[in-house]
Amino acid sequence: MSEPLLSVENLKTQFFTEDGTVRAVDGISFDVYEGEIVGLVGESGAGKSVATSSLLRLVDSPGEIVGGEITFKGETIFGLEEGTGGEPQPRDDMLSEEEMRKQIRGREIAIIFQDPMESLNPVFTVGGQLREFIEINRDLSEEEAKEEAIDMLREVGIPAPESRYDEYPHQFSGGMRQRVLIAMALACQPDLIIADEPTTALDVTVEGQILEMVRDLQEKYDTSFIWVTHDMSVVAEICDRVNVMYLGEIIEHAEVDDLFYETKHPYTQALLDSMPRPDKTVHELNPIKGVMPEAIDPPSGCRFHSRCPHAREVCREVHPEPRNLADEGDETHSAACVMYDAFEVGYEESRPIETDATGGFSAGLTETEESE
Amino acid sequence: MSAPNSRRDDDETLLEVRDLCKYFDNDGGLFGGLTLDREFPFVERDPSNVRAVESVSFDIKKGETLGLVGESGCGKSTLARTVLRLLEPTSGSVYFKGEDLATISGEPLRQKRQDMQMIFQDPQSSLDPRMKVGPIVEEPMEAHGMLDEEGREARAKELLEKVGLDPQHYNRYPHAFSGGQRQRVNLARALSVNPDFIVCDEPVSALDVSIQAQVLNTMQELQDEFDLTYLFIAHDLSVIRHISDRVAVMYLGQMVELADKEELFENPQHPYTQALLDAIPVPDPRSDGRANLLTGDVPSPIDPPSGCRFKTRCPVLIQPDEFDMSDDEWSAVVEFQRAVKRREFETTDRREVRQRYFDSVPGGDAGTLVEDALSHISEGEWNEAETLLTTSFADASVCATEEPAYEVAPEHGDGRHYAACHRVRDAAVASGTAADLDAVGGGPVGEVGAND
Repeated sequence: MSEPLLSVENLKTQFFTEDGTVRAVDGISFDVYEGEIVGLVGESGAGKSVATSSLLRLVDSPGEIVGGEITFKGETIFGLEEGTGGEPQPRDDMLSEEEMRKQIRGREIAIIFQDPMESLNPVFTVGGQLREFIEINRDLSEEEAKEEAIDMLREVGIPAPESRYDEYPHQFSGGMRQRVLIAMALACQPDLIIADEPTTALDVTVEGQILEMVRDLQEKYDTSFIWVTHDMSVVAEICDRVNVMYLGEIIEHAEVDDLFYETKHPYTQALLDSMPRPDKTVHELNPIKGVMPEAIDPPSGCRFHSRCPHAREVCREVHPEPRNLADEGDETHSAACVMYDAFEVGYEESRPIETDATGGFSAGLTETEESE
Repeated sequence: MSAPNSRRDDDETLLEVRDLCKYFDNDGGLFGGLTLDREFPFVERDPSNVRAVESVSFDIKKGETLGLVGESGCGKSTLARTVLRLLEPTSGSVYFKGEDLATISGEPLRQKRQDMQMIFQDPQSSLDPRMKVGPIVEEPMEAHGMLDEEGREARAKELLEKVGLDPQHYNRYPHAFSGGQRQRVNLARALSVNPDFIVCDEPVSALDVSIQAQVLNTMQELQDEFDLTYLFIAHDLSVIRHISDRVAVMYLGQMVELADKEELFENPQHPYTQALLDAIPVPDPRSDGRANLLTGDVPSPIDPPSGCRFKTRCPVLIQPDEFDMSDDEWSAVVEFQRAVKRREFETTDRREVRQRYFDSVPGGDAGTLVEDALSHISEGEWNEAETLLTTSFADASVCATEEPAYEVAPEHGDGRHYAACHRVRDAAVASGTAADLDAVGGGPVGEVGAND
């Protein structure tokens, strides 16, 4: 494979709150190649959205990217070096705020958010918003931009785009609004689109239409996607490669087929087991015990050990980094679990421990009264 | 619309809904429903109704879970609230334990509420953030004068334990709990007055899958323990398949299909149910993905289509009797009519349009009509083309002229199967209006039939 389009190395984003430092994204690494759809899955609170905002440097105070490197098409979106006083400081080749705003956001990397109503301004017409975006980002005249906007609306399957151009967002259904946002994301023909749960708020029938359309458009424009979702069915349907996140870390990474059929990490397995199936009747679901701990004070060792059915003493002590577990010559399939021989930390000899997976429901209660 | 004269005095049936309608005014606000006119009296008032729920009939038996599924905006929540009399029905009846809730009000209704509870979708906003969990659970008991203070506290603690929380959490505020745990508090609150019937309005859709499974399992355990009856609303068919005994499918305010779970999932009769089932994503990258996706949007409930409400999107519309086209020709005509209606194409070039929609233009009257429509289009007269095609094809179909209501013989199990689609008319064992059909009750075939 050639050079990756986007490369993320050991990215760390933290939030400095009164209660302490929340390590929302704690050292994740992944690549996105040209023309592929990479999934980022996890439950709420796993750090998916913080990770994607970090890619565009959209993290606001009290949050801050504190480490790692983000490279996009040879340009450094984020990078640190050691300054004179030993303090880390931004590298010289890191893009400035202005360069980010003018070159990267919208033009090279576009983002689609979950809630289409909140991403569109209710007091401007849909067409006007799309036109303005094209006008600014592509240096077209108003007339040309309008033509382009109408073309884009047609492209994403909005019927009678000329007349709908002058309508307001509330006159569009949820699915239609999401189509408008996709049109907006595609309008500048970016190389990468970050889709942050774009179909979660939609009905299955509409979700199906949108996913089908995205796949067609992706083939046509050869755009890469980072698809953020909590829904394994969507992953199965649309992604080429998948990263599974748990509590700020990527705990498994694989080709989509391997992830479902050669699942390595117990968390991924548990996620798959806890889903009700539409194609058969399951009598008892097998949920993951407990709830995800707070990122402010993550469990020691493997972060999943407090809920893991296979947890042993060594899991509490050793913090595993993802390692490639695939056979030589096969596609990379990495997982961060000491259960596998590749980690050589003596899992076999270690004693099993009592966890939520064996305890009651109460074990998962959030202990901090000020947590929200 | 009147209630059926003789209702079955079946002590098994807990809730009986007959011909229930709920309309909302669409003329809200000072100028709502007003239109300006050039002639006297210059202003016209045109009150229109949003027909959110229309002629819905079904039964729920004691101890069963009826799943209610449909896309957003189809009237699921309105139906649920109308059934509980949180909204006043426009017409129709809701018999709860034999008493018509639609006719009572005031204190008798308040007393009844003890037996019917509701769980809402958003566990965050349905709990008062300034109340501790204990008092939250105790409040319904207090409202209904159950037990004394000590007794209520003891019961609240017991219930917290039953729903899988620690009784020690009695003194905590809702914000100290996660989403799944808050939904458990909601469950405890609903259970506190010992109800027979709980309406669950999307109780797990705001939760993560792993937490969803925990809450669903708890709900099933509680149902067994307290002999509860659920009306379970969800848009997620996987959840519905997991928890329901029988499933009702709604589209645009009406019930289109009602059958036992296995029967509905394995032998769906209504094209809308079929389309919904086809649209569910399967968590398996090797599956074929979703097939036959519906096109178009749900029509407005202010002016719903006549006959079968699904006819504007139905992939298998029935051909009017006066034509004699092959299935392929007919579906090409339907596709063309819908494309014109939605203005899906730009070109007015006759040959191009014809090529795009027809392999071969059908012969006979149908062919002439299509050619006429094509002429209109090449002249740019879109409205004329649309009217011509709609009146001669879509509106002539039996789907547009008659409201369907049929009962078919089930293939799986012995429950009754109601399907509102004219395609099953030949196979149907009974037809009429939904309110008259026993099928909505769901009892075993052949056992009941005391309807007149």
